[in-house]
Amino acid sequence: MSGWERVQSSKVRFGGRHSPLGGDERASTRTVRLGRVQPQAPTHRTIYCNDREANLPVRFKGNSISTTKYNVITFLPKGLFEQFRRVANLYFLMISILSATPFSPVSPITNMVPLSLVLLVSLCKEAYEDWKRFQNDMSINNTLVEVLQDNRWVNMPWKKLQVGDIIKVKQDECFPADLLFLASTNADGVCYIETSNLDGETNLKIRKALERTWDYSTAEKAVEFKGEVQCEQPNNSLYTFTGNLIFQKQTLPLSPNQLLLRGCSLRNTEYIVGAVIFTGHETKVMMNAMNVPSKRSTLERKLDKLILTLLGTLFFMCFIGAIGSGVFINSKYWYLGLSKGVEAQFNPNNRIVVAAATILTLITLFSTIIPISLYVSIEMIKVFQSTQFINKDLHMYHVETNTPALARTSNLNEELGQIEYIFSDKTGTLTRNMMEFFKCSIGGEVYGTGMTEIEMGSAERTGAKVEGGKSANAVHEKGFNFDDDRLMRGAWRNEPNPDACKEFFRCLAICHTVLPEGDESPEKIKYQAASPDEAALVTAAKNFGFFFYRRTPTMIYVRESHVEKMGKIQDVTYEILNVLEFNSTRKRQSVVCRYPDGRLVLYCKGADTVIYERLTEGHGHIKKITREHLEQFGSAGLRTLCLAYRDLSPAVYESWNEKFIQAKSSLRDREKKLDEVAEIIEKELVLIGATAIEDKLQEGVPTCIETLSRAGIKIWVLTGDKMETAINIAYACRLISNEMKQFIISSETDVIREVEERGDQVELARVMKEEVKKDLKNCLEEAQQYFRTVSGPKLTLVIDGKCLMYALDPSLRVMLLNLSLNCTSVVCCRVSPLQKAQVTSLVKKGARKITLSIGDGANDVSMIQAAHVGVGISGLEGMQAVMASDFAIAQFRFLSDLLLVHGRWSYLRICKVVTYFFYKNLTFTLTQFWFTFQTGFSGQRFYDDWFQSLYNVMFTSLPVIIYGLLEKDVSASLSKKYPQLYMEGIRNSFFRWRVVAAWAFSAIYQSLIFYHFVTTSSLTGQNSSGRTFGLWDVSTVAFTCVVVTVNLRLLMMCNSITRWHYVSVGGSILAWFVFVFVYSLIRENILYVIYVVMSTFYFYLAFLLVPTVALLLDFIRQGVQRWFFPYDYQIVQEIHRHEPDDNTRAGALEISNHLTADEARSFAISQLPRETSRHTGFAFDSPGYESFFASQQGVYAPQKAWDVVRRASMRSKLKAPPLPPKK
Amino acid sequence: MLMVAASQQPLPCPVQYHHLQGAKRVVEIVERYDAECVPDAYKSNKVAYIKNGSISKNCTKLLKVDKLMKAPIYIYYQLDNYYQNHRRYVKSRSDKQLLDGLQNNDTSSCKPEESNGGLPVVPCGLVAWSLFNDSYIFTRGAVPLKVNRKNIAWKSDRDHKFGKRVYPFNFQNGSLIGGGKLDPHIPLSDQEDLIVWMRTAALPSFRKLYGRIEEDLHPSDLITVNLTNNYNTYSFGGAKKLVLSTSSWLGGKNDFLGVFYIFVGSSCIFISLVFLLLHLKDSRPCGDATFSYWNRKNVSL
Repeated sequence: MSGWERVQSSKVRFGGRHSPLGGDERASTRTVRLGRVQPQAPTHRTIYCNDREANLPVRFKGNSISTTKYNVITFLPKGLFEQFRRVANLYFLMISILSATPFSPVSPITNMVPLSLVLLVSLCKEAYEDWKRFQNDMSINNTLVEVLQDNRWVNMPWKKLQVGDIIKVKQDECFPADLLFLASTNADGVCYIETSNLDGETNLKIRKALERTWDYSTAEKAVEFKGEVQCEQPNNSLYTFTGNLIFQKQTLPLSPNQLLLRGCSLRNTEYIVGAVIFTGHETKVMMNAMNVPSKRSTLERKLDKLILTLLGTLFFMCFIGAIGSGVFINSKYWYLGLSKGVEAQFNPNNRIVVAAATILTLITLFSTIIPISLYVSIEMIKVFQSTQFINKDLHMYHVETNTPALARTSNLNEELGQIEYIFSDKTGTLTRNMMEFFKCSIGGEVYGTGMTEIEMGSAERTGAKVEGGKSANAVHEKGFNFDDDRLMRGAWRNEPNPDACKEFFRCLAICHTVLPEGDESPEKIKYQAASPDEAALVTAAKNFGFFFYRRTPTMIYVRESHVEKMGKIQDVTYEILNVLEFNSTRKRQSVVCRYPDGRLVLYCKGADTVIYERLTEGHGHIKKITREHLEQFGSAGLRTLCLAYRDLSPAVYESWNEKFIQAKSSLRDREKKLDEVAEIIEKELVLIGATAIEDKLQEGVPTCIETLSRAGIKIWVLTGDKMETAINIAYACRLISNEMKQFIISSETDVIREVEERGDQVELARVMKEEVKKDLKNCLEEAQQYFRTVSGPKLTLVIDGKCLMYALDPSLRVMLLNLSLNCTSVVCCRVSPLQKAQVTSLVKKGARKITLSIGDGANDVSMIQAAHVGVGISGLEGMQAVMASDFAIAQFRFLSDLLLVHGRWSYLRICKVVTYFFYKNLTFTLTQFWFTFQTGFSGQRFYDDWFQSLYNVMFTSLPVIIYGLLEKDVSASLSKKYPQLYMEGIRNSFFRWRVVAAWAFSAIYQSLIFYHFVTTSSLTGQNSSGRTFGLWDVSTVAFTCVVVTVNLRLLMMCNSITRWHYVSVGGSILAWFVFVFVYSLIRENILYVIYVVMSTFYFYLAFLLVPTVALLLDFIRQGVQRWFFPYDYQIVQEIHRHEPDDNTRAGALEISNHLTADEARSFAISQLPRETSRHTGFAFDSPGYESFFASQQGVYAPQKAWDVVRRASMRSKLKAPPLPPKK
Repeated sequence: MLMVAASQQPLPCPVQYHHLQGAKRVVEIVERYDAECVPDAYKSNKVAYIKNGSISKNCTKLLKVDKLMKAPIYIYYQLDNYYQNHRRYVKSRSDKQLLDGLQNNDTSSCKPEESNGGLPVVPCGLVAWSLFNDSYIFTRGAVPLKVNRKNIAWKSDRDHKFGKRVYPFNFQNGSLIGGGKLDPHIPLSDQEDLIVWMRTAALPSFRKLYGRIEEDLHPSDLITVNLTNNYNTYSFGGAKKLVLSTSSWLGGKNDFLGVFYIFVGSSCIFISLVFLLLHLKDSRPCGDATFSYWNRKNVSL
């Protein structure tokens, strides 16, 4: 706390502070205050609102935040430390240190220069990123907010805020800290907040202040507010908060409803007044800031193995050299001056020491075997690939939502080229998540005449005629695609059971948590809902004549038509007494409301299973018929909900409400208690009917899935939907066809149902396990039979969540894996988010296959994180999945571009780049190695220091980067036309040991050619003047040959050669010559060497011959390979050899002609740097992910659909909220 | 593909042939003399012989010319098993001192031959210290053959590497004498033997230019070489050879390059023929998808 603040706070104290607390409480607070050392109780914190002095002893953290990694002082040490955590850098640091010792054959510069270049590049990048973070922090910390001081609002920067301050936040401003909501300008103490910074959801949420604090909205009043807040310690759970406000001797319970989180912004409210309770890094948002453990690609891990092998080779070479030197060294070589006072490293009398010293010498000499620039180059290539190719591919740009693809990490580009299993969510991924009210069943009667695509598809399959067309007066708006005149425009009054219809519509209009927005007219109103289903249901109610148009925290306003008699419209207000919210365990939502006439009703809607359990006795007929309807809807691919109600007597309600309030104000296990209380009243329900909502397939999904499966990718659908829905979607997506053999493992069997009815959980578990085991065994046996026959049908497995729970048991896991790997497609239905992750890691770890998960919702986050590659659909259901993902695309069908084009290319490029690096450094180092044999193993360097150090960073680096960026074996359209090409990636054809061995062989051959050819021919005089070459002349010739050959070798492996290839290859060779022309004028030991060498004909002949001979072997190999063992891509190249390359800028953005000018413009706009939010510097992590790991460690943490928020990075902000106005 | 294979032919054949012929025309006489020049009494202990300064090191060899050798005929000495490229040896010199003489005091790189009596040795270091010091005098019949020993070093070395004002005033004055001595009155830039010697060789077998005979030698000429066998190669089992060689535009007798060219060229032709045959036989039609992996393996999708 700064001095200024102390003054301020003491001013406050003297400025007429009076304590509202009673004597006892006051004494107790005094002890805390005077004690100073007394720590906060670990379980809660006590905050004195509007009293800085009182809060002083606890030393709450300030409100300034810092998300930077470094500061000016720590940048260098910490940044370097970070760099040296990379093994490659550490290795080169050690080599550099070694090269500064007398053991070194080379000057320290040789290794320092490349290392410092690499470090410099990396540090500059770090510094730039950190600087941007710093600037962002600064602008956040210095944002002004109005704080209550001396009876008035004073502008103060955010960073000066302290716990307990009373502040005022105006409309559209962001909350500077976690606030306790006290009062707002809205009449009933509510405010609306937007949480898009936290979870990407753009719908507004309501927060409601405690009634007792509503009045403190002006400065004059707020000064008098002296409350004491006891609340939990800062934690990272964004959606829970428990605490009490002790105010005017009363203890009032606090809930998340009174908490305004930093990072959210105020909407539709003039201003609010709140008390700061968590500041700075202790805010929930910041507590969520964790760095996501970054994923590494499989290829990179394999690369590590290659590097280790190289290290092994290095030590082997050094070992040979060491033995050689120990044997060689002898004082008989008088010209080496070994007799008098020779250093230990050359002392012939101590050969062991000589050998040991030689090891050190040779390690420095051969250190180039590990390509230092490899990691930097790969990183550059990958970043470029993701930012320039993936993010800018128009084929993956969705015009309607103006969403381009987004590579959120560049680490995994090449992993995209090796995917073998795709785990896909259904809703929002395969389907559009555009929910439309499609059918309903009221009182045992089905309404709605439409046919879903699935129904049409199955009708086509069975050969029935499909009659299309809709009646002319069908209403179709967003969320409502219903066509049945029996219900529209009041016609329902003539139906057999109009009362059921009325209840049905009222239930739709009342039982929800939707917020209306905009004008209160049926045409213009917009509904803000947590899920599109809800919006669809409310929209449906509107169309049926029950128009919900206004909500206050206690009231719902509905404009009802045709209720009393046809054509009459009346506004009815229902008092909402309690809302029992939806969550994934309850699977239902209830509202207790009071009619204007005093009737008390509980409306409930939820999943059929949970509603049916709670229905009152009787009404067997309706229940049975409705269940049939539900099944019918389900098989049509529709999402169903059951609606029910219960009339409550005031006495029953009052006694229940007490329990409810008690549960609501409990500090511990509030959620659980609330659930229990809800259970008490949600029973004896009367079934009204069921709704059916259509979930449309995304555009192009079936085609994309077919393409992907032709590419050898197996697609699993993991969904929370019912088995029938899941199977139907799978049919619609062509994942399952009638020719396939289906294995169904379901918990809906008679045996299991029987046990279920008995209600013994232990028994149930045992029976289930037995059943699952039996099923698995049978299926597996059958599957293996099919598998043995050549032309057996393709297999598919359908399993539901309950069975999966047992099948994932360690004892059955292997069987499940064997069975599912034999199937071409697998559908898991009714699975929880956790099970999705478990299935993913089953395949990832059990089968060691490369997996990809794609999903759009919060429930897919754990799956996305568990897979090798996570893809998020940047669509309608919030941003959680995108935040957790590695790649974000707008549509499922873009997956084929992402995998078959970009993934394949990236894989190919990175493989070739890595193997090429390996080759070029091995070739270079081996020439050194061969030379060592002829220098008495002394470790004399063959090349000049600078040749060696610049070889990697200057003479051979650029072409390979160009190659890595632009290499393209077949064009994008051919990649998609021949999805089979993708299988080369799955088989890992381009980076297996055989390929590496071929390159190694080539490197050995070439190095022998270079070394022996050049040295053998150097014995005699080299021109007509009879003069001979020295060491440096020979090595310069050899080096020239190496540089030329290695660069030409790169051209040989190119499938597409652009002018950039020529420029970079030519430029690299030219760079060498320019360098050596200048350098040999300066450096003493090779003074004029290049001029001497170039004055001989010999040089030019060698220059022509040596690279030719060196490349000859590769040429033959490539020819034979193409001739006899062609890669698939080579065949495709040949098929299309006469077609001009459709894209001269290889690999770059393919601007296709199908975009109109407008679309192209909107794409261009989407590519512009976006206005960034002030809060993008915050980092969130996914608590949803915790439960996944927690469960693996045996800790149970309930998964909440919305308990999942992740870091909103700069780039991923698609919709930046407006900046708070600056003052 | 055929075209590609044919293009491997790097150069037209005539060039290769010409190259080989060029190398063939070079005539070379190589004579090893180190073993034979040791008197019989010392045959069993050659090191004692070479280290004994009182024994005359003169020796006479007869060389017979087989083919016409056109002037200029280059005289080389060749050392085998001599590691001029040893790390300790290569770095034991001071290029700065060679150019600037005593102005450059830092001779630390010259260990162990850096100084003598407090003053840096000029030129310092093992390389200079072990200067080759055998000498040859040639006579044809009874007529002495004139040997031109000027201009045997690369011009750039003389001009830019070895100082014109640097005199080897204290060279080989130390307790241990290595190889040859230098005339202290001649600047280093004119000490061409030293300059040649100090362009250290790449391999343990190397030739260094000694001088030129500027007359033609005819077949059946008998050349007498009077040589002083001073340099010690006996300690480490090295060999000393005297080489007389003519030269072509490509330098000395170097069959390797020519043979290699012929070999590469012919193998290119051979390979292109093989590929041509394959092409005619047409073992794999171009662009036939039946040869692709997905068809060959009958991969189940």
